[in-house]
Amino acid sequence: MEEFLKFDGVTKQFGHLKAVDDVTLTINRGEIFSILGPSGCGKTTLLRMLAGFEAPDTGRILLAGEDITDQAPNVRKINTVFQTYALFPHMTVRENIAFGLKLRKLPKATIDQEVDKMLAMIQMEAHADKKPAQLSGGQKQRSAIARALVLKPSVLLLDEPLAALDLKLRQRMSLELSLIHDEVGITFVYVTHDQNEAMSISDHIAVMQNGKIEQVGTPAEIYEAPKSSFVAAFIGDTNFFDGTITCVLDSEYCEVEVPDLSKKLICFNDKKLVQGDSVHLSIRPEKFSISLDRPAENPRQNVLPAKVEDIVYQGDHTRYWVSIAEDWRVAVTRQHNRFLLDQRRITWGDQVFISWQADDSFMLEQYREKDEDLLQMPPQNVGEEVPGAAVTAPEPSDTSVAPADGQATGQEEASQQ
Amino acid sequence: MTRRSIFPAIVTWLVLFFFYVPIILLVVNSFNLNSYGTAWKGFTLKWYTQLFVSDEGRAIWRSLYITVVVGALATLGSTILGTCAAFALHRYKSTLQNIHYTLIYTPLVLPEILIGISLLIFFASIHMPLGMTSIVLAHITFCVSYVTLAVLSRLQDFDMSVLEAARDLGASNWTTTWKVLVPIILPGILAGALLAFTLSIDDFVITFLVNGPGSTTLPIQIQGMIKRGRSMPLINSISSILLAITFLALLGSKLLMKTRPKK
Amino acid sequence: MKPSTPLRQRMLGEFAITLPSMIWLCIYFVLPTLIIFAIAFRSKGAYGGIGDTWTLNTLAELRNPDYPAIIWRTIWMSVICTLATLAISVPVAYHIARVSQWKRDILLLLTIIPFWTNLLIRIFAWRLVLHPQGMLRNLLISLHLIDPSTVFLGNPIAVLVVMIYTELPFAILPIYAAAEKFDFTLFEAAMDLGAGRLYAFFHVFLPGIREGLMSACLMIFIPLIGSYVIPDLVGGKDSQMIGNVIVRLALEQRNLPAAAAMSTVMFLIMSLPLLYYLKYTTAQHAKEVAK
Repeated sequence: MEEFLKFDGVTKQFGHLKAVDDVTLTINRGEIFSILGPSGCGKTTLLRMLAGFEAPDTGRILLAGEDITDQAPNVRKINTVFQTYALFPHMTVRENIAFGLKLRKLPKATIDQEVDKMLAMIQMEAHADKKPAQLSGGQKQRSAIARALVLKPSVLLLDEPLAALDLKLRQRMSLELSLIHDEVGITFVYVTHDQNEAMSISDHIAVMQNGKIEQVGTPAEIYEAPKSSFVAAFIGDTNFFDGTITCVLDSEYCEVEVPDLSKKLICFNDKKLVQGDSVHLSIRPEKFSISLDRPAENPRQNVLPAKVEDIVYQGDHTRYWVSIAEDWRVAVTRQHNRFLLDQRRITWGDQVFISWQADDSFMLEQYREKDEDLLQMPPQNVGEEVPGAAVTAPEPSDTSVAPADGQATGQEEASQQ
Repeated sequence: MTRRSIFPAIVTWLVLFFFYVPIILLVVNSFNLNSYGTAWKGFTLKWYTQLFVSDEGRAIWRSLYITVVVGALATLGSTILGTCAAFALHRYKSTLQNIHYTLIYTPLVLPEILIGISLLIFFASIHMPLGMTSIVLAHITFCVSYVTLAVLSRLQDFDMSVLEAARDLGASNWTTTWKVLVPIILPGILAGALLAFTLSIDDFVITFLVNGPGSTTLPIQIQGMIKRGRSMPLINSISSILLAITFLALLGSKLLMKTRPKK
Repeated sequence: MKPSTPLRQRMLGEFAITLPSMIWLCIYFVLPTLIIFAIAFRSKGAYGGIGDTWTLNTLAELRNPDYPAIIWRTIWMSVICTLATLAISVPVAYHIARVSQWKRDILLLLTIIPFWTNLLIRIFAWRLVLHPQGMLRNLLISLHLIDPSTVFLGNPIAVLVVMIYTELPFAILPIYAAAEKFDFTLFEAAMDLGAGRLYAFFHVFLPGIREGLMSACLMIFIPLIGSYVIPDLVGGKDSQMIGNVIVRLALEQRNLPAAAAMSTVMFLIMSLPLLYYLKYTTAQHAKEVAK
């Protein structure tokens, strides 16, 4: 992998709003690179600058070492698949795909040949002479991709390409996109607000928030080792524990005192912090084990007594909301890798124990209290359908976020770094 | 980058300049001492006072009065007919309504002069004397279509299931009509009526062809003054007054109704 | 209750609100229009009335040597005025569609105000501008841009300018309505695929607003063929159009049959675009109803 596309200190301001704030980013040749973030985080502006529709206020954009910051969109070797597809409604699929080739004044035979190749690749030969209005969402999508790819760009930009499709089609098209990428082998820059899409398709992901890049990494790095509370809460779901290091056990582990908890926690000290440092931990719900009986003691394991407040059955797993202190609920998920009925059932109001390995918590570099709003909250009413669940379909749970005030209380010292 | 071309902006501002230069010149000239042409000779309010003291001024006011009476009658007639027509077109889907729609639409596209000349010949062949009556009949005829379309567009924009909701909640037919339907489409009817009134007082060609003695409307009066080349400065002053009224009325209706009459 | 009663009631209801406007339009619009065609073959009556006998003489009266030139002028002036108006309106509509909402409201209001201003007043204002003693002419002469012998009023150019002036709002508004619905992402898509701005404008934007252009085109062309006031008040002998002939025949010569015959000629000239327009709008209406 080599450095191919580079944003170098790029800033773009609209009025008072810094849409993109000093972004420096490197994208390798031939990879699928996702820019992931909530709406309004600046990801689309970043993409539009790459396409040439917006000019950065400061900074440079380099493509294979060449400065393309001031290149007009119609000369860049970068093509875009638009969110709304932007197929020309007065042209057939064939004419749409041929549009860019015609502008290059290629001979008609060459154009026909190229277009036919594309039509075959997207399996749209039968629909070549239809107008966009006669196509289904997936067909429009494929036509838009073909129209961009036929020009053999160095980079293909995809702006929320699956957002307009329904869930099933979205999954299929995401797979198809990967296949097309394998076939053409060029760099894809993929903008999305959907973490599932980004996780499943990308080689690298940049998570954006408020115009800044929060973290860049492989999907696994982003999920397992989030740098900030935003990344931890936006990608998947998590629980935050804030405390102070009271004792460094050896080079690897430390003890953390968390207000309101009866016990000190033992954690992997990946940031090599020292006694007295305050620390923000993120623990994913699936890292917890939940059991009715107290687990066997283990010096590298934390065990907390808890009370089951809510249970949501979600097919392949179950999510428990358990309280570990007054007004403090944490989310715990349990995979159903064994048949559920084998064990004594955990039910509402049960006194249980949650436990996790010291290696399963992760220390955040940056913590903002408002990111807790991104966390999933127990549904108000079990069995009631949660609006938006079908649209976002986040992993690992399907319930939507409803901010509550429970988790953050008693942790006022939560600091901004 | 996508620097937008400034050409469209330039054309737009030139067009607006083009729109307003004659109008502004007219208003300025209404204060011009020069009674001939537009060369500035000094400020005066003479043309405004003359509007009230001269014979020509009295004729202008009389023509304005006739214009407003004709406009009011034409608006009343065409609003009633047009509202009924819009309801029929919206409610029923039948061959009759297809014919009805064509009938409503054709006067809109036919040049005024053809409508005027055909009415003139029609009135002549039934030996009807020309005057206020013929003008009002003609105005109702060409205004009906505009009112119909204004009301119809309001009806089409509206989700009519609220009517079913009202019935479902126990309202009678009568209550539904007066408490739900009428308030909903009233802005459409008012917009149509306003359009009809404006078109009526603005109309020259049709009125010119079917008018008779004692029914000189303002546009006819102005045309006569231009043709005879008499008391031209008075046209400046009355026009400026009317422009101010139009402008204020338009601004007022914009602020009040927040609905745009459709052409 | 017999099942036929609701149906009958329904039909009665339909008739009750359909017939008033229909009968009115039949009497005051359809009948007079049909009479025009008939009267063209009627003899002249005394005192400007209509005679009692059928005749073909009226057609002979149309063989005035001036008429072919006037008819031809009516057509070319209308065509030029339509094309010029559209050419000006497209950039304006494009601009209005692309600016922010409040600017858009202001620009639209400014476009509509002239349309709400009395036509006669606007024409009179133009007479002031083009007047031999007017500012425009004096200004241009003092700048040595025109020869002092140039006269603005009373020629076809003046008529064209004022016609464009009065028709512009009627073209800008429908084209704007189409441009507003146009998805400007298509513009970016075209540029992304290598098109220049002009190419995108002609190959993507114009086809995208085709319907608005068509309706604007017909909406101004048909009334232009029927122009009367503007050639009458700002034109001269060499800028008379069919409308002026019809009025002269009807009101000055009191020859209603000849005026009717001339009207028939005018009607024939615009019949094709008229039918096309009617067919188009009726289809649009049917689509709207089907929704």
